[in-house]
Amino acid sequence: MTDIALKAGKAPRVRRGALTHGRGLAGLVLVGVVVAAGLLAPLLTPYTPQQQIPGANLLGASGGHPFGTDEVNRDVFTRVLHGVRVDLAVCLLAVPFGALLGGLAGLLAGRSGIADVFTQRAFDVVLAFPPVILGIAVTAVLGPGVLPVVCVVIAAEVPLFGRLVRTATLKVRELPYVDAAETMGASRTWVLRKHVVPNILDAVIVQLALSASVAVFIVSAMNFIGIGVRPPAPSLGGVLADAMGQLGSNNLYAVGPLLVIVVLVLGFQLIAQALLASRRGGAR
Amino acid sequence: MKLSLSRRTLLSGAIAGTVLLGLPACSSAVGQQGSGEVEKGGTFTGGISTDLVPANFFTNSNAGVTTVIGLTYESLVSYPVDRLEPKPKLAESWTVSPDGRTVTLRLRDDVKFHTGRPFTSQDVAFSLRTYADPKWNGQLKSTAQAIESIGTDQPHTAVLKLKHPLGNLFDLLEIVPIVDEKTFSGVGDGSRYVGTGPFKFEKWTPNARLRFVKNPDYWVPERPYLDAVDISVVTDATALTNRLRSGQIDYAYGIGYHDIERLEKTGRFGKIQLAGAENQIYVGTNVTAEGLSDVRVRKAIAHALDRDRIIAEVFRGSGYPADLPWPKTSPAYDAKLNTTYRRDLAKAKALLADYGKKVPTLTYSYASPVPQYEATAQIVQANLKEIGIEVKLEPLDPPTFVAQLIGGKFKGLWTTYHSWAQYTPSTLTVSAYPFNALKNTSHYSSPAYTKNAEAAWKQTKGDSAEAKQAYAALSRDLLDGLFLIEIGIVEQRWAVSDKVKGVGYTKRSELVLTDARLTG
Repeated sequence: MTDIALKAGKAPRVRRGALTHGRGLAGLVLVGVVVAAGLLAPLLTPYTPQQQIPGANLLGASGGHPFGTDEVNRDVFTRVLHGVRVDLAVCLLAVPFGALLGGLAGLLAGRSGIADVFTQRAFDVVLAFPPVILGIAVTAVLGPGVLPVVCVVIAAEVPLFGRLVRTATLKVRELPYVDAAETMGASRTWVLRKHVVPNILDAVIVQLALSASVAVFIVSAMNFIGIGVRPPAPSLGGVLADAMGQLGSNNLYAVGPLLVIVVLVLGFQLIAQALLASRRGGAR
Repeated sequence: MKLSLSRRTLLSGAIAGTVLLGLPACSSAVGQQGSGEVEKGGTFTGGISTDLVPANFFTNSNAGVTTVIGLTYESLVSYPVDRLEPKPKLAESWTVSPDGRTVTLRLRDDVKFHTGRPFTSQDVAFSLRTYADPKWNGQLKSTAQAIESIGTDQPHTAVLKLKHPLGNLFDLLEIVPIVDEKTFSGVGDGSRYVGTGPFKFEKWTPNARLRFVKNPDYWVPERPYLDAVDISVVTDATALTNRLRSGQIDYAYGIGYHDIERLEKTGRFGKIQLAGAENQIYVGTNVTAEGLSDVRVRKAIAHALDRDRIIAEVFRGSGYPADLPWPKTSPAYDAKLNTTYRRDLAKAKALLADYGKKVPTLTYSYASPVPQYEATAQIVQANLKEIGIEVKLEPLDPPTFVAQLIGGKFKGLWTTYHSWAQYTPSTLTVSAYPFNALKNTSHYSSPAYTKNAEAAWKQTKGDSAEAKQAYAALSRDLLDGLFLIEIGIVEQRWAVSDKVKGVGYTKRSELVLTDARLTG
């Protein structure tokens, strides 16, 4: 569909209102609820994420502790809400940065043959590693913590955005009005700025939403296997990992963070699908 | 007719009776679960959470090694799990010279290795010399190295000449498995384990299973009852629990304390509490680190720890708080000294005030993912925050942690288990990495501690009054120097189904199935 639109001389656009109805709205609500819960965490719970409550060892779900308490007497609900903050902060930092780096690499690849070959092979190498395996390798070098998680999310996003921007750039540059502009003496930089970037922006926005869902998954997986956020700081994957040994004591200990991860991934996926459908011409 | 029995006759009779009954004294016949009809034969299936590491054969460091040694090998003597009284095993009897420097062991003459070769004094010499080789990292290698010579002139008598008296010699004789020189090369790569024990090693499939079959020529009559033993390696504790729960295995080593409690509640499973084979959970300190180099800071930390909570919540009450490493079964145990550093935040703060400087943020290392260490570290972190000491947690993968433990590379604090305090106290202070007076993980050195550790080690009798005085001096050194802050004594737990009975263990937590049977 994108190809057809480009051949007609016009890049498809995300329609206004793509997120005001249907799955777009559903996705927005899901993500919004989780983000709001994370931001308002101190108001929603009387505990701090590292507060050890005397005597509250592995309690089941109750009004005071909606997801129960953990093995060191902390309120799981509180840790999940604060874990949302950590996970989203990583995503909001790493995904746009990965998109920026990937986009620049894609634009560069579209400018010269040598740069194209170099960036394409570099993308091939990065894509050859599943993100979690890449995370283990990066952690071996940098040590565990937030930094390797951010690096892995960026590394996972750069090839995706790079390839997207490169392809779109090559196609836009073949359009008649771009060709005409270059014939009239417009510089490559001017063409990129005036014609290429505006035309690929919508595709990047769709990819951003899709990448956010992937990033939530990567961050959670890395924290789950213990190479991400350091304890006692909370993270969704970290809380889930701690819960695995206590499934017999309190089911909501595991279900709580898992539910939040599912909602976030699903929400971003729905937003991406709605934006994509909107670009393609109105599918709901 | 008057029947007269001398003390020696009675003792000999008791020993002979024990042997005839086939109840090797090293193991405790616990795990009397099972209400069905007891059967002979069958395959015992179990699961362990850590695989065999051939290079650690003499280090007693994981469940794979202790399973192989417990089933396949035997030692010269054995201790009952609850006391330090050597009982005959491969050595029938022994004498110790008055100066404590010559020990003559009379060996059984009816024992064969699994290859069919008879066991002789040459095997005693080979086993003890191999254990003394630094290559194998045996914790008691300094004690083994203190054996000057081993006389093997007679095939069933071994004469040990010692460089000096060794109060913990029988610990060594209880710990060292008697190995077969002819096949010992197979131990290094895990391909062959030949001993004299009740089961013959059949196969090790790395990261998957260990398989053993009955030794039909075992020297104890009518033992073992089982035909075979099949041990799976299941590294995930939840998966191990599920295997037990679903009936795929009947024994599990590596299940969490909470899970064992839940299994017990079903009525189909029981636990084996490894009393007498205790571990100690502790906070180690690098005494060269800023802040920790001052004993007042270390004492403040000791007063801040909530030991009762850690034992109750993390270890589900399977143990007791302690300030010293000695368990209640140890000749060095002193209930009063053991509460020297009870939780007292005011005292801790006063000690820090006396120190007068801000304690820098301390790095606190532990092996991950091990739920007990992680929970302990987080509670300790919260305890120290209460007295104004900030702690940064540093989870390490187990190989890195062990390397730092052995190499003394920890930046500040660390937490793990130590063992060996269930033996003669001098074994701990001349052997275990964290405590070794000459070189320890904390970089602690004290002429008094070194002297007292040496004095305790060189006692003629490990349980004499003089020895106990030496242990008391050691205890005071440990409390005053406080390079290692004990949290508590922990008794590990195994889970077993009600289909097995007679599962036993040694003081080194080795699995003993000599008397184990399956129920119908």
